Amino acid sequence: MISVDDKLKEIGKYIPQPDDDMLVCRCEEVTKGEIRQAVHAGMFTIEEIRRFLRCGMGLCQGQTCGKLVKGIVARELKVSPAELEPAVSRAPMRPMEMEILGRDGGDK
Amino acid sequence: MKKAADVIIIGGGINGCAAAYYLAKRGVKDVIVLEAAKSIGHGGSSRNGGGVRQSGRDPRELPYAMYAVKHMWPTLSEELGVDVEYCQAGNLRLGKTEAHLEKLNRLAQNARNAGVDVRMIDAKEVKEINPYLSDEIIGASWCPTDGHANPMLTTLAYYKRAVELGVSFVKDAPVKAIQKVKGKARKVITADGTVFEGETMILAAGYESREIARTVGIDIPMTRYFEEALVTEMQPPMFDQMLGTADADFYGHQAKHGSFVFGSECGLEEAADMPLTDTRTSSLTMSAGCRAIMGYIPALKDAKIVRSWGGWLDMCIDEVPVISPVEEVPGLILACAFTGHGFGTAPSVGLMLSQMVVGEETVVDISALRYNRFKADR
Amino acid sequence: MKRYDLIVIGAGPAGLSAAIEAAKCGMKPVVFDENAKPGGQLFKQIHKFFGSKEHRAKIRGFKIGDDLLKEAEEYGVEVVLNATVIGLYPEKEVTVKIGDEVKHFKGDAILAATGASENMVTFKGWTKPGVIGAGAAQTMMNLHHVMPGQRVLMLGTGNVGLVVSYQLLQAGCEVAALVDAAPRVGGYGVHASKVSRCGVPFYLSHTIMEAEGDEYVTGVTIAEVDDKFQFIPGTEKHFDVDTICVAVGLSPMSQLLAQAGCKMLDTPGGYIPECDEFGQTSIDGIFAAGDVSSIEEASSAMIEGRIAGVSIAAAAGYLTEEERKEQCGALESALGSLRKGMFAPENRGKILKETEEGIEISTNLLAKGYVAEDEITRYPGFVKKAGVHPVMECTQNIPCNPCQDACPKGCITIGENITSLPVVDVEKDCIGCGMCVASCSGQAIFLIDEEYEEGYASVTMPYEFLPLPEKGDTGTALDRSGKEVCLAEVVSVKSAKAFDHTNLLTIKVPKDMADKARFFQR
Repeated sequence: MISVDDKLKEIGKYIPQPDDDMLVCRCEEVTKGEIRQAVHAGMFTIEEIRRFLRCGMGLCQGQTCGKLVKGIVARELKVSPAELEPAVSRAPMRPMEMEILGRDGGDK
Repeated sequence: MKKAADVIIIGGGINGCAAAYYLAKRGVKDVIVLEAAKSIGHGGSSRNGGGVRQSGRDPRELPYAMYAVKHMWPTLSEELGVDVEYCQAGNLRLGKTEAHLEKLNRLAQNARNAGVDVRMIDAKEVKEINPYLSDEIIGASWCPTDGHANPMLTTLAYYKRAVELGVSFVKDAPVKAIQKVKGKARKVITADGTVFEGETMILAAGYESREIARTVGIDIPMTRYFEEALVTEMQPPMFDQMLGTADADFYGHQAKHGSFVFGSECGLEEAADMPLTDTRTSSLTMSAGCRAIMGYIPALKDAKIVRSWGGWLDMCIDEVPVISPVEEVPGLILACAFTGHGFGTAPSVGLMLSQMVVGEETVVDISALRYNRFKADR
Repeated sequence: MKRYDLIVIGAGPAGLSAAIEAAKCGMKPVVFDENAKPGGQLFKQIHKFFGSKEHRAKIRGFKIGDDLLKEAEEYGVEVVLNATVIGLYPEKEVTVKIGDEVKHFKGDAILAATGASENMVTFKGWTKPGVIGAGAAQTMMNLHHVMPGQRVLMLGTGNVGLVVSYQLLQAGCEVAALVDAAPRVGGYGVHASKVSRCGVPFYLSHTIMEAEGDEYVTGVTIAEVDDKFQFIPGTEKHFDVDTICVAVGLSPMSQLLAQAGCKMLDTPGGYIPECDEFGQTSIDGIFAAGDVSSIEEASSAMIEGRIAGVSIAAAAGYLTEEERKEQCGALESALGSLRKGMFAPENRGKILKETEEGIEISTNLLAKGYVAEDEITRYPGFVKKAGVHPVMECTQNIPCNPCQDACPKGCITIGENITSLPVVDVEKDCIGCGMCVASCSGQAIFLIDEEYEEGYASVTMPYEFLPLPEKGDTGTALDRSGKEVCLAEVVSVKSAKAFDHTNLLTIKVPKDMADKARFFQR
């Protein structure tokens, strides 16, 4: 059970950091500061962060930034990154053209 | 952790979050929202096509669907301080055969009878509205006041704003039962045995509402249904309308950031039997969806699909939700069984739930959605 | 739908090994790989592997790849290339993009051997062109013969960072520095030493502050960090570089297994499937082997693959339980010996003070990348005697022993325990053949003759740079830290098939430089 009130109190107010403008998710151009602020707005899971900011939702599907985002969120929440569930793995594992995906023999 | 409040809301989906927000906005800030998952909006609230539509709706839902479109959606981003990507650019429901047009015409007629501006347009007008569509389309129904928004952002925006206004949220708190005390719904018990107490409770937990309502002797006749969606990589801006088809083989729109989001089916969904916690997509639906989409929007054939996802719908036996206080269980208000079209109405539903809590008359009459409307029909 | 006995995803070392074992038992496996060429990362590995004979030690990675492909062909393993598996479903169904369509296949068993991908770190300017993964640098150099840059800074001193730094030098790049936020070199000491003696400085407890440049990388500033990894003001150092290579670890590419619903574990080493001892995941019939189940060396991946292949064959009735036990037993002991020593999984994160022999660890090696002159004398491979003899600068317990079989005279002993430090027997007569020098995957063996000529000693070193110096060339001798110590003359250059491209370069240096001179610079 996670009380949002208690957690927000525990982690304190958002304090700007000098590298808040650093890009973390390059596909969707999400910065470290945006991720940190989202945590302080109550987004505590990778699922919520992704849905709120779109980080990890681009072409690489979080292959590059997944671990980085997790690290930033964990640090902000004062927990170990292992306590945060990673994003759900979703097919297709590689971006694939509709025309090719549609050709799977299913309509024959 | 706070365990007692004036209002307990079971379900941190869009309806629960919206209700919490409208309660807090009117000054009822002693509210606890219990969400079963670790994430707000984990269920259908984030797993839907983002349609904000009036066309194609049952007359019983139309009044509050229209209220939301007219009075709430246009200012929602500003009100919540988060861009929820609301776009009111109309809804095209496409047909390729005479049979399709007949069906669309029937639906349009129903909508017009209920006061929604939906009209039939020919192939030429379809092309004028959306030049990317297939030449095989011979006509469509057109509702210019329909639109779409970002469901994930809208849900989280209600949540964020409610938190800011002082509402208490508890995540990872699956509710097992509601208990009456001295004839009134009073206690909410979670899976780990924690007891929350409130004067009033709103049950807005999707399909899971059924099990919870049963613990106070109320059974809502609903089933569950699994649907999938696919998302393309970002595309240059192409069109703003929400699209659907007479055959209902896909629906969707281009989101603000450029990705297209399309819902689709492969035809085997009725037989899905995984547990509710399982939202894995099937090996067939994505491909079937691509074929359906390319049949209407050939311009997208080279767009790459980056992911697919699925979610459970709480289907009511008569296909409209239950939004109503429960007289037999004073203090309990139900808001469930949205049947796959609860996103677009969430602002007005949240507002009306807040009105029910304080005993105020709702902005529109929704007595047709009462919990005890279900009768034997033979 | 076409059904296979076994579908292997990934034609790298683990996947191919598994398919080969399964095919040996009579199965008809298929291997899908999204790349145009099989072998995974093996064909980028131009260095000699560690281990013992059974692990194919002292053989270069790409050669092992060739052999694996030959073996796969011999046993009739079907390898389908340019075949991207885009989905894995619990009923052991895969969707595979082949050509311009998607095909559905089912397997009685599925083995995911999908490997790993490189981690990234963020620093100011990390998205600029010129910041690349070390694996990408390897691909450019070793597969496509393209130099990643002229002047490179390497971040990360794990084995990947060290090995790729050396390969960058071999390709003709200048390596400006090796940098690591950790206070100690992460990879094998022998890999560090061979880079260090080429003159590459190590900056431990340092990390990148900023990648500079408007359009692309033109420089980099690093600075020292404290024990909380915060920059210490005033410690900034600038390098003019055009490339920054990042080697900060790998993450298992386990997404397919997660998608199928296998039970996953979030570990410091990445998101991995929970597997039993045979590599089976929580879903019956779905297996994992190689880096996808835990990041290790290719040698381990190949054995893991073989164990999975044998287990899958047994589960499908192609082997009896006794046969399985016998085969798995041998493989498990081979795998066990690779997981011994200072770098064993159970020692990860530990600070060891002594070797297994009770000898104090070289602190200089961990802090600066080379063993200091006053430290090297305490190891059993460092001996002095009249005439030519080996000096073995192998100071860490790693699972590797080709040197002991290389010496025809039995001068070198490692013994039963594969991780023991090599001991030089001064009673036995070294004939100066250099087989030991070429056999050492860590390039840590030198032949020294302190009485080469009046006042001069000779130092024979492994040399893997082109163009090869010639007899009579003169240049400078560098010490273990890469510092110039004296003038040197090349007196012999030996190349032989048995040396497998490790040339033996002998230089003549003043006698008092015999223990110092470890590299030759023209």
